Amino acid sequence: MPRTPAPAGPDVFGALANPTRRDLLQALLERGPQPAQSLAARFDMARPSVSEHLRVLREAGLVEERRAGRQRIYRLEAEPLREVADWLAPYERFWRDRLAGLRELLDSGAADGAVGSPAPGPPEAGR
Amino acid sequence: MTGRDGGARTAIHVDEFLGHPPAAVWRALTEPDLLARWLMPNDFAPVVGHEFTFSAVPLPDAGFDGVVRCRVLAVEPARLLRIGWRGGSLDTTVTWRLVPEGQGTRLLLDHEGFDPDDPLQQHALRGLGGGWRGRLLARLRELLDALAA
Repeated sequence: MPRTPAPAGPDVFGALANPTRRDLLQALLERGPQPAQSLAARFDMARPSVSEHLRVLREAGLVEERRAGRQRIYRLEAEPLREVADWLAPYERFWRDRLAGLRELLDSGAADGAVGSPAPGPPEAGR
Repeated sequence: MTGRDGGARTAIHVDEFLGHPPAAVWRALTEPDLLARWLMPNDFAPVVGHEFTFSAVPLPDAGFDGVVRCRVLAVEPARLLRIGWRGGSLDTTVTWRLVPEGQGTRLLLDHEGFDPDDPLQQHALRGLGGGWRGRLLARLRELLDALAA
């Protein structure tokens, strides 16, 4: 099976698809690193919900968690956002996904044989 | 990844090694049935000047009806294929280069001619939802530019 590395940042796009998580990022962007507690207070949300959103953001590499005593301080990680700020990234992902499909097709042997004669044969039966 | 000095980039470059000879890769790129299996349904023919379409998923919000209108611009068997690629407000070219490498092929893709000043072409960002494209994105750009400086 293809060993194509996952395109950079699919989790980033998923993480950003949620308005609350975008608001959390915005808060970290505007006000700097903060403990989960003050984020929860600011968003009038239950701590566990905020923690869950922060977990998704952390797994996407968008925030960094640091322990300070009994608190966990969250900080915005800008690096993955480069891809999002790059408006062509979704097109690039399109091509990388398609190329993964091309690799699978080639590995299936469907394009083997009859090389050098580009005359199209009859349609393949099914997939 | 992006040369930010000159503003937004206008091309995509992808470089992939495939463990199959150029002849097989060429078939996958130029035989409509094979092409349909990894890219999109099409009526391609490897003839310069041939006009054809790819059928994609429409994106009405982006002014894209799902039809990519293409024209074959250059064909060098097992070496190079260039097509004009127009869909929605895109008017771009896609070039495939096949370079033999060991037992396989290095496949180089250049998708060029994106217009960063065309808001319709930025449709992909809309999928991220309202609110994102406005203030926050602008601020992030500032931040990233500051970090890159």
